[in-house]
Amino acid sequence: MSSTTAVPTSDDHRSDESHLLSYPRFLKRILWLATEGSFGFYAWMTLLTALSLVGANAWANQVAGGMIGTNMTDHVSWGLYIANFTFCVGLAAGGVMMVIPAYLYDDEDMHKVVIVGETVAIAAIVMCTLSVIVDLGRPDRFWHMIPGIGEFNWPMSMLTWDVIVLNGYLLINLHVVGYLLYMRYLGRKPDPKWYIPFVFLSIFWAISIHTVTAFLYCGLGGRPFWNTALLAPRFLASAFVSGPAFIILVMRVIRVTTGYTAPVGPARTLIQIIRVAMVVNLVMLASEIFTLFYTGGGHASAANYLFFGAHGHHGLVPWIWSAIALNLLGTFLFFLPAAMERSTVRIVACLCCIVGIWIEKGMGLIIPGFIPSTLHEIVEYTPSLIEWKVTVGIWAFGMLVLTLLMKLVVSVFTGQVRSKEPTATV
Amino acid sequence: MVVVCWDGTPPRDNQRRERDVLAQSISTVPSPIVAQAISETERKSSAPSEPGRHAVVVRRPDGPPLIELAATDPQGRSGQVACSTCHSVRPPNLANRSSDSLDEFHQGLTFNHGTLACYACHNPEQSDALRLADGSVVEYRDVMTLCSQCHAAQATAFRHGAHGGMNGHWDLSRGPQTKNNCIDCHDPHEPSYPKMIVGFKPRDRFLKDETKHDDHK
Amino acid sequence: MTTTNDPSPAGDGGGDRSLPVIANPSRRTAVKGAFATLGAAAFVAAVSPLRQAAQRSSAAEFMQSHYKRLTDEDKRQVIARLEAEAKENHGVEVEIADDRPIPNTKFVYAINLSVCNGNGKCVEACHKENNHDRSTGQSYIRVLEMPKGTMDMEQGNTTYSGVVPKDDKFYLPVQCQQCDEPPCVDVCPVKATWKEEDGIVVVDYNWCIGCRYCEAACPYHARRFNWKQAEVPAEEINPDQSYLSNRIRPVGVVEKCTYCLHRTRRGKLPACLEACPTGARVFGNILDPDSNIRWILENKRVYILKEELGTKPAFFYYFD
Repeated sequence: MSSTTAVPTSDDHRSDESHLLSYPRFLKRILWLATEGSFGFYAWMTLLTALSLVGANAWANQVAGGMIGTNMTDHVSWGLYIANFTFCVGLAAGGVMMVIPAYLYDDEDMHKVVIVGETVAIAAIVMCTLSVIVDLGRPDRFWHMIPGIGEFNWPMSMLTWDVIVLNGYLLINLHVVGYLLYMRYLGRKPDPKWYIPFVFLSIFWAISIHTVTAFLYCGLGGRPFWNTALLAPRFLASAFVSGPAFIILVMRVIRVTTGYTAPVGPARTLIQIIRVAMVVNLVMLASEIFTLFYTGGGHASAANYLFFGAHGHHGLVPWIWSAIALNLLGTFLFFLPAAMERSTVRIVACLCCIVGIWIEKGMGLIIPGFIPSTLHEIVEYTPSLIEWKVTVGIWAFGMLVLTLLMKLVVSVFTGQVRSKEPTATV
Repeated sequence: MVVVCWDGTPPRDNQRRERDVLAQSISTVPSPIVAQAISETERKSSAPSEPGRHAVVVRRPDGPPLIELAATDPQGRSGQVACSTCHSVRPPNLANRSSDSLDEFHQGLTFNHGTLACYACHNPEQSDALRLADGSVVEYRDVMTLCSQCHAAQATAFRHGAHGGMNGHWDLSRGPQTKNNCIDCHDPHEPSYPKMIVGFKPRDRFLKDETKHDDHK
Repeated sequence: MTTTNDPSPAGDGGGDRSLPVIANPSRRTAVKGAFATLGAAAFVAAVSPLRQAAQRSSAAEFMQSHYKRLTDEDKRQVIARLEAEAKENHGVEVEIADDRPIPNTKFVYAINLSVCNGNGKCVEACHKENNHDRSTGQSYIRVLEMPKGTMDMEQGNTTYSGVVPKDDKFYLPVQCQQCDEPPCVDVCPVKATWKEEDGIVVVDYNWCIGCRYCEAACPYHARRFNWKQAEVPAEEINPDQSYLSNRIRPVGVVEKCTYCLHRTRRGKLPACLEACPTGARVFGNILDPDSNIRWILENKRVYILKEELGTKPAFFYYFD
C-alpha cells in the first residue's frame, strides 16, 4: 500500500476518544460491513450457511443416535474427524510461513499481506476445534476438560497440550489481527509493543501446534506406524506446503472478488517456501517408506496395507496413491516457471498439493495407524455419510468465518471503513 | 462300557447355573455318564481349617462306579451293579491292555492312555477299588493319588492352582474355593482333553472372517 | 495493504453489486436482521436432535463430579440415581456397590497357553458377567488363534471357529493387561481413567468424554467404546454390579476389563476364570507369597505381551 502512513495521520481523528466507546462502534461497523456485499457474496454465504447447517444437523443426529452413526469402530477408533483435524492444524501452522518472512526477514511486501496468513490461521483453528468436538462421544462433558472445574490431565496427556497450544494460537492470532484492524480503523499506527511480541510468540506457537499434534500420535508405542520421530518434522514440512498453498488461493480469491491486487512478491516467496517444504516432505516420506519396507517385519504391516493392501483388504490403496500422484504433480507444477506468475498452473499446483496433503495426513496417516489393529486384525474404514456431512459442514463453517474475516480485513485495510468516516460504505 | 463315577458339571452358585442354562452351550465337554450329585467333598489337606480361612475343596468321586444294566428284570426294572458283582467271580487277565482283546464285556471302551494294562490301575483283588503301583489299595474317591503316581508335575501344578479349573474365591479369608479333580476333565481311559466347538463369538463391526480368505500361508 | 488511499473504487464495486432493492441502510438492517433470525432458527432446527440426547441424561448426571472428588454421601446419591435409572430404563432391580481395593492386594493374572484350547467360554462369560451389548456379542476378551512356532500376533486370527484346538495352532486370549505403566491412563485428557492400588485400571463412565485417545494408546485392544447404548434383555442383566465395573454403561464412553472387580474385590474369582473349562486361567494376589500366582511366576517360564513397549503388564502367559 502506497500510503500505509497516510491513512493514520490524515486526520485529527478522535484519538482521545475512549476505547470503551470506539471499540463497540468498531465492532458494530465491521459487523455491518462483513454482511455487505454483492449477489455473488450473498449466494456464497448462503451456500456456506446451508452446508454448515447440514453439518450441524448431521452432528446432532450423531449425538442423539450415538457414534454408531459413524463408521468408526473399536478397531479404527479415529476416522475422518481426526484426520481432518490434523490437516487443519497444519493449515493453521502454515500461516507462519508468511509471518517469518514478514517479521524475521522484514520482507516489506509480505508485511502488507501477512494478515491474510493470520486470518487463515484463525479460521483453521476454528475448524480444528470443531473437528475435535464432533469426535467426542460425550460433547456434553466438554467442561470436564476445563481446568478448575474439571480435571485437566496436564502435563501427562498430549491432548491437554494440544488444547493449550491450539487455544493459545487462536488467542494470539485473534489479538494480532484484531489489534491491527482496530488500529487501522482508528487510523492510528499500531504500537509495536502491543503486537510485535505476540507475532514472535506466534512463530514459535505455530511450530508448537503442529509438533504437539504429531506428538499425539507418535508418542503411542502400540501404534508402530505412528511411532516415529519423523512424524513431527513431516507434519511441519507438509504444513508449510498446504498452508502457503491455501493462502495463495485465498489471495487469488481476494483479487478476483475485491479487485485488490497484492504485490507479486509475497506469492513468489510462498512458492519458494512450498518448493523447499514439499521436497523436504517428499524426502521424509521416502525415507519413512524405505525404513519401513527395507526393515520389514511387523512394523511394516500398516504401511504394507496402506500402499499395497493386505490379506485381501485394499481400502486405502487408492487414497494413498492418489495422494502421492497429486503431491508429485503439485510439486512438479510448482517448479514450473509459470507457477511464479499469476497462472492457472499456480492454482492447479496449489489444489493438487492441498488435496494431496489432506489425504496423506488424514486417510493416509491417521487411518493406517489403526490397520492392522493392535491384535493384528484388519478392520477397514470408510467414512459414513454422517461423517462426510459433518466434515463438509465444518469446512463450510470455516470458510464462512474466513470469508467474513477476509472481508473485514480487506475493507479495513482498503480504508472503506474507519472511525472518521461512518458512511464509508456508501 | 465306560463307567466312571463323576459329575461333569462343576459346582456353581445357583444364579450362575441359571445363566449358564440360558446360553446354549455347544461344547463337547465330557458329559456325565452317571450323573451324581457330589454329596460329599473333602477338604484339601494343604489348607486345613486354619482359623478365619475357608477351605480349598477338591471335588471327589462319590465312590466306586456302578454299571447300568442293559437288560431289565422280569418286573421291567433296570438296575445298577457294582464292578465286583461280575469281577469277583471272573479271573483277572493281568496282561490285557485293550478292549479289543475282550470277547464279552467292555467292548465299546476306547482306551488311549499310554501302554497301561487294565490292572495297572484297577485292582484285581478288589474290583471296587483301585491299586497303586506298589500294589496297595486306593479307593476310587482317592483317584487323584493314583493319577499323581505318573503325573507328578501336573499334581504339583494342581496343588499350586496352575493345573485344573476352579471356582469360588481366590481370597480364602472371604470364602471357599472348589477345585476340579483329575477325572472331572480327563477321562481316565482316554485322558487327552477332548476337542470342543467354539460356541460364542463377538461380532465386531466390519471385521470380516479372516479364515475364509486366509493368505497367511 | 491497498494500492490506493481512495475508498471509492472498492466501495463502488461493492455498491454496484449489492442488492439494488434495499439501498436504504435502515431497511438493509432490517433485512439482515431477518436473515440472521432465519439463520438462527434454521440452526436451532438443525440441532434439534440434541434434545433427544439431552433427555437421556439428567441434570444430576451432567453436574456429577469426578469419582475421586465424590464424598461418601455423594457416592450414595449417585449410586441411588444409577440404580433408579436401571430400574426405569432397563426394568431391572440392580445393586451397584462401590467396591474399593483390598489393602495389600495386587491382582495378577496368568494364562497357561499349553492348556488353553480356544473354546471361547471366557469370552462368553465376560459378555454375560459385564452386561455387554447382546447384538454385537461384545466382550473384553479376544482369543487369537496362532500357528505353533511363533509369537508374532500378525500370524494370529481372532475369527476362527469350529472344532478346537486345531493341531497346528495354539490359542492366545488377550484382555486388559492392567499394565503398571498404562499408556491409556497417561493419555486421558480428563483423568477419567486411572490405576487403583490393587492394580486395576478403571474408568469413571460418568466422567469420560469419549475422545477415545485411550483406545488409540492401548497396545492390547483392551478398550471398548460404547458406540451405542448396550442392549441387554432385563432378565439377562447381571444385577450384581459395581460403579467402576460392570454397571450398565452410558453411551459414548470408553470401558474396559476390570478383572471383574465387583467379584474380585469381594474375594471371588473373575468370571472368565470360573468359566474356563480347561483350567488355563490363574488369578491371585501377587503380594501373597503363598498365592497360586506367585508359584507360577517363580516356577514357570512366563511371557508377557509386547514387552518391548515397556507397559509392564500384570498379565502373564506361561507354558507347561
